[in-house]
Amino acid sequence: MLSYNQVTNSEINKNGVSIKEIAPIMKLNLRGKTREFFTNVGKNLNMILPTEANTSSSSDKLTAIWLSPDEWMIVSNETNSKETNTYELNDILFNNISKTSLGAVTDVTDQFVQLEIKGDKIYELFSSGCPFNFNLFREKKGSTTQTLLNHIDVIIHNKDKDYVNLFVRRSFAKHLWEWMEDSSSRL
Amino acid sequence: MFVINCPYCGERDQQEFKAGGEAHIERPKQPTELSDDEWAEYLFMRKNIKGIQYERWNHAHGCRKWFNMIRDTSNDEIKAIYKMGEKPPSI
Repeated sequence: MLSYNQVTNSEINKNGVSIKEIAPIMKLNLRGKTREFFTNVGKNLNMILPTEANTSSSSDKLTAIWLSPDEWMIVSNETNSKETNTYELNDILFNNISKTSLGAVTDVTDQFVQLEIKGDKIYELFSSGCPFNFNLFREKKGSTTQTLLNHIDVIIHNKDKDYVNLFVRRSFAKHLWEWMEDSSSRL
Repeated sequence: MFVINCPYCGERDQQEFKAGGEAHIERPKQPTELSDDEWAEYLFMRKNIKGIQYERWNHAHGCRKWFNMIRDTSNDEIKAIYKMGEKPPSI
């Protein structure tokens, strides 16, 4: 990824919460409804898009996060090369889906910042600024949600027990980071 | 504060939603044939009653989908939620 500015180089490690930015991660937004769209995406990704609300599906390289009945976010599991802004998968999907009008493919790599949040108190941290009920979410690996955290739109993906990935829009990332730094110090 | 059951995402806090005004307002078939008063009636005049109201809502900070809601404005009791394009259930 060229001219990519990390939100912060530091990490938060406080009271059983550790947060750091993971970059560069490829993120693609997929939209579509038709059966042809599903089969085409399935073929190109080698995985099936989750159709159940608030869930995700994973292959060894990619994770697909449900955002809406006709919208998904594809995220790479591993970090990518810092030297390029183009992704092979984006080109393949764009040619097969956008160009054939089956749906829409948008590269949102630079739009979203991925934060890795770990620790046994992460849900206490979320509860201090989020209206979402995490009781079911925290029990189920792979569950996802879009909600508000300190009035900021976020996408949260449950990777494992006490381990989530959080996606936030780049322009809000610094603000959210500072809020989490402050809030985690008072847990 | 109340909880709204989004037809796509499930139960979420009201904070995540935006109200979109009165539902089931039909655009006149021939706007050019209407008088100014009739057009203003369609364009601006909305019910604001104490009681049961049909409304559109948007899950703005979630799935970003629109849906309809029947709500009692006197006590915020939600009578029914149904998707766009569906007929309102009898209550």
